[in-house]
Amino acid sequence: MNKSAYKILNTALVCALPVLMFSCRAKDNYQGLEFSPNMYHSVAYEPLKQITDKEAGMWVSNRADGKGEYYNSNEFNPHRMNMREPVAGTVSRNKDGFLPYRIKKDDWETAAKNLNPLPDNDAVLSEGEILYGKFCQPCHGLGDGQGPVGKVMMGVPAYNKGRLAKLSEGHIFHAITFGKGRMGAHGSQLNQKERWQIVRYVQALQQK
Amino acid sequence: MLERQSMMLFKKLTARSSLLVVMMFGLFTVMATGIASAQDAASIPTDPAVVGAGKTLFDDNCAVCHKVHGQLLGPALKDLSKRRDVAWSKAFILNSQKVIQSGDADAVALYEEYGKLEMPAHDFSDDELNAILAYIKDESAKAPEVAQAEEAPAAEEAVQELAGIFDNKYMSIILAVNLLILVLILIVLGLTINVLTKYLNEKAELAEEDRELASQRFDFRAMLASKPVVFFVTLLFVTLVTKTVLDGLFSIGVQQGYAPTQPIAFSHEVHAGQYEIDCNYCHTGVTKSKNANIPSANICMNCHSTIKTDSEEVQKIFAAVENNQPIEWVRVHNLPDLAYFNHAQHVKVGGVECQTCHGEIQEMAVVKQHADLTMGWCVSCHRETKVNAEGNPYYDKLVEAHNKRSKEPLTVEDIGGLECSKCHY
Repeated sequence: MNKSAYKILNTALVCALPVLMFSCRAKDNYQGLEFSPNMYHSVAYEPLKQITDKEAGMWVSNRADGKGEYYNSNEFNPHRMNMREPVAGTVSRNKDGFLPYRIKKDDWETAAKNLNPLPDNDAVLSEGEILYGKFCQPCHGLGDGQGPVGKVMMGVPAYNKGRLAKLSEGHIFHAITFGKGRMGAHGSQLNQKERWQIVRYVQALQQK
Repeated sequence: MLERQSMMLFKKLTARSSLLVVMMFGLFTVMATGIASAQDAASIPTDPAVVGAGKTLFDDNCAVCHKVHGQLLGPALKDLSKRRDVAWSKAFILNSQKVIQSGDADAVALYEEYGKLEMPAHDFSDDELNAILAYIKDESAKAPEVAQAEEAPAAEEAVQELAGIFDNKYMSIILAVNLLILVLILIVLGLTINVLTKYLNEKAELAEEDRELASQRFDFRAMLASKPVVFFVTLLFVTLVTKTVLDGLFSIGVQQGYAPTQPIAFSHEVHAGQYEIDCNYCHTGVTKSKNANIPSANICMNCHSTIKTDSEEVQKIFAAVENNQPIEWVRVHNLPDLAYFNHAQHVKVGGVECQTCHGEIQEMAVVKQHADLTMGWCVSCHRETKVNAEGNPYYDKLVEAHNKRSKEPLTVEDIGGLECSKCHY
């Protein structure tokens, strides 16, 4: 090869380098180039990071089972998920000492007699207000049923009028837990203590 | 005479409402109840004051499950007085279960049709019942209201878009004018040089040196080949290439800008932005656990069991729920396994806003990784962020000890926020 050919090749390389480097960047569906990938991917099962491709990371793999280095799925679980629900009937321990809420979904009469185990003070009320803002306000607004989502749903009742103004704390707790009418069940999003805190604030709104 | 009139009225009414009625309850039930309803429909008051009182009662007690025009949880109440007799309606409102248990065919049929959903008992006086029925009758005669709430944001958006275009146009006009002025200056300068050269050349007594200078031609090629120009161009080129290469190298392992397509076209812009739903509503773990959590389908269903149920994207949630098949969302933020990060620690204890790390998530139709999530990024925040120790006795002695040796406020760095083993172990 003569001198001028080398020159052209050199220039082309120098020009191509920035373009090449720029293509390492993450964009849209491309995750970008990984650096030291063996330290990026968990060996243990990761609950929210399931990698189902058995070939993933084959090029750095030294696994005994012949699968890719990054393969991270539990084949013994349904849908190869890494998370599992607790075994039925197990009782989770919590520092507030709450036992599982065992009143049946349709048993509104028993639920209505249930009493709030939390003290009636401002600390509980303000905690309730914060939680209410996060979990109830989109639909119920400030107790008037005119939240941004409530307006779309239509017919979200006001707390301080009609039948709702007279509902007992146990009834409100039951409604949060299992939902009522078109309201969904929120028992999976809020633990018992949080639900009772919200009940306190809803009761304050009933009086408004 | 009166009887004949009411019979005429009845015939007209049944003719008009028959289509609706056939669909819902079948012709036989209508014939059975219709005769009675036509006769006592007149007993419902039409006084505007009573109708007004009825509206308040309806909104407070019934609107949760019923609309006059259209079905909600319970059936549409349009033309109730034409379908049912007043006594039946009142009994059903007061205690629907009693009516159903008495074996009333219509009540049982309704109960079965609406999925055995119990309508709660109500404690109304007879006047209140009359008022509610009056309102329903009055409202039935009106045309259904068309919801306009959804059109408003669209109009607003259009206005904003227009403003954006206007802004852009304004900018380009300014730029164009500036360019024009520059070109004009160049032309004027060129003309001046031209005139001066001509003037000098015409002068006879000009020295040879000066004449050479005056008639000098601008040599573009010579200028390009001159050493300073070659040096500066090379320097510029090398600097640019080096910078791009270095930037590119630093972007390896950094996924900033990653915005994968999700299995369901969920928009944070609509949910968190337009409808102001708090992040915590769906990301339930954010104050309690290491992970913020991806909501399970039952949380979507809290609203979407009634909202936008015919949307193609929402149908995908229904399919997931029906088949008990998890939705396979694509994880956007992948912190390397070598670093530990805890959401609860930062959000609950530290009081960090979601947007600090995730950007203006309420404006993202497709979620994009906002921060670079590099160690330098973590460390600089730990250096700058002050610890809110107020009202927390845990920090009392720490703050005291810190204040003895430093005048700067207590930062995350001071309580061990830069120790390697805090995040790497």
